[in-house]
Amino acid sequence: MRTDPAAAARQAVRAGLPWLLVVLVAVALLGVDYALGKATLVLTYAIAGLGVVVVVGQAGQIALGQAALVALGAYTQAVLVRHGLPAPLAIPAAVLAGALGGVLASLPARRLGGLYFGMSTLAFALIVEEGLARWESVTHGAAGMAVPGFEVFGWRADSTLAQALVSLAALLIALAVCRRLLALHHGRAWRAVRDDEAAAAACGIAPAAVKMQAFLVGGALSGLAGALYAHWIGFISPEQFGLVFSFELLMLAFIGGARRLMGAVWGALVIVAIPPTIALLRDALPGDWARAAGLEMVVFGAVIVAVVLLRPSGLTGRS
Amino acid sequence: MSMLRRFMLALSTSLALGAAVPAGAVELAADEIVVGTVSDLSGPIAMLGVPVRDGMLMRFDEANAGGGVHGRRIRLAVEDAGYDPKRAVLAARKLVQHDKAFAFIANMGTPVVMATMPIILDAGRLHLFPFSPHRATYTPLHPLKFQNFAPYYDYMKAATAHLVRARGYARTCLLYQDDDYGLEVMKGVEAALEGLTRELVERTSYKRGATDFSSQIARLRAARCDLVVLATVVRETVAAMAEARKIGWDVDMLVTASGYSAQTHALGGAAVEGLYGVSVLPHPYAEGASVELAAWIERYRARFNAEPNVWSVMGYTLADLFVRTAEATGPALTPAAFARALESMQFTPDIFGSPIYRFSAEDHLGNRHGRLAQIRNGRWVPITDYLD
Repeated sequence: MRTDPAAAARQAVRAGLPWLLVVLVAVALLGVDYALGKATLVLTYAIAGLGVVVVVGQAGQIALGQAALVALGAYTQAVLVRHGLPAPLAIPAAVLAGALGGVLASLPARRLGGLYFGMSTLAFALIVEEGLARWESVTHGAAGMAVPGFEVFGWRADSTLAQALVSLAALLIALAVCRRLLALHHGRAWRAVRDDEAAAAACGIAPAAVKMQAFLVGGALSGLAGALYAHWIGFISPEQFGLVFSFELLMLAFIGGARRLMGAVWGALVIVAIPPTIALLRDALPGDWARAAGLEMVVFGAVIVAVVLLRPSGLTGRS
Repeated sequence: MSMLRRFMLALSTSLALGAAVPAGAVELAADEIVVGTVSDLSGPIAMLGVPVRDGMLMRFDEANAGGGVHGRRIRLAVEDAGYDPKRAVLAARKLVQHDKAFAFIANMGTPVVMATMPIILDAGRLHLFPFSPHRATYTPLHPLKFQNFAPYYDYMKAATAHLVRARGYARTCLLYQDDDYGLEVMKGVEAALEGLTRELVERTSYKRGATDFSSQIARLRAARCDLVVLATVVRETVAAMAEARKIGWDVDMLVTASGYSAQTHALGGAAVEGLYGVSVLPHPYAEGASVELAAWIERYRARFNAEPNVWSVMGYTLADLFVRTAEATGPALTPAAFARALESMQFTPDIFGSPIYRFSAEDHLGNRHGRLAQIRNGRWVPITDYLD
């Protein structure tokens, strides 16, 4: 089938324009450094969001403790880099830690389903957070630990541009891998289990193994995001990876559209970038309104509700 | 063109555009000084964040009403990070680049401070008096970072040693919040007891936000503690003491400066009578206040329609240190010149009864001392001078 090049170009402009607009507005309003700093976090969160999209949107599992998998990646990266391992070499270990964590978190799925399994992922997250706080000899416990900057053979990613580029590269690789997986039998098996587990089993698909695969991939992506997060924030402590973070990631996927990979990117943009943008608008308010505590979060909540009402399938889904 | 490729193209173009423009340097307007703060106005320590911000606003308003500092008005740019380091990083970048903050004062919460401090220092801005017990806020020595609050370790060591010696306690125990704050207090208490050749008899922890302390109190009682040190904040202090009194255990307790608040006796009532606390600044009670303090309390009430508390005093004091140092620096205000002036300043006690704050070129921690107070008849009463 042939497509009209002019129509394709118009479609490309329509789809790309919002991104360009978002970044240009951020640059114009806040300056380059701020916009790039924000972009770095959006891209990093998008990687973790991809993990949720795979587990929740593709495999149809309820995951309430994804932040624990991000934490495993972040701590693995931090500990290895602090022991002198170059950051790029530590990243595979962080990805592996996240993947193994994902496999562990998926084990109850052999016996539990639906909300009960979701509760088990919540318990897993609590155990990981508690474990990180207690294993003081390695993690420095609740006191947290500083993480050195991202360095490759003497080149240090200490500018926001460099950090954004590293995160962008990681996100693009992650997107490409996920896209490939979704096109292969893995993706089809995830969707089959999501749509009807019994029917999938009747077709020769092993639901438990398929769910484990989804968690493995989701965990690996979370581990990668955690590794980068640790470098960009520069200080990690167990409380940063609590339930609030897990729910943020879940919200991210639903806002962006849990069934599409790009949903993670749009969701990350909303979750990470909207509150500081609201803070900017707040500064323009007169008198005591500008210093009202928690105003950003109230407006942010309203934006989320509006998105859910107007786009129930997420920003990238069909309205 | 696929969605992925379109996204790549758009983002790469934007990033390339961004790379073409250099990052901002320290720029001071002729008529304004912007002071930034990354606070917690909606998160777990908002109880501190709001009055600290209001105290700073009040002092800066006073300076502006008097013509500003060498003709420059001071504007406090407040960002709420809600104790979230991710939001804090974005907030710090906004304040540096968009608001052109000259200095940061009273950033709040260890994760927030540790995540934002490198950004602030790398941008050449002053990092002043953060609310974090972390030693990294003043060591290693950095020309632009200054701390005013002693680590919990230092003054809890002094307070515990003083109280144990004075009252002859034989079995000291600890109830602590399971985070960097609690651990810092634990180290201080252990060091104090080690100096007295005693041991911490029992220790038990809780997670931030806990409301039920029955198991912890039962455990401490079983250990026959005669002094319980509390590394708690207000609500937990009240809950722990109320639980002890409820089961008929009349043990003495000592809380850190985080529990030294008027809300402690307002919420706890009779249950917290006799509680010892460490104070790094006294609470501003209207009753019995000096003429100057009473006038200050009235001004605060009129401005914010709220009662001032110890956190308001802290905010006001920090802003006052900034104003006085900026005045001493002179019209040619730069971060380096401000830092040099601060290193040579000595701040004598004020209307609140603050300790003496003193910095030097070798030491950027302005105070290491707290004093003991006790709740008597529903208010905190100082019972010692600042302890060495």
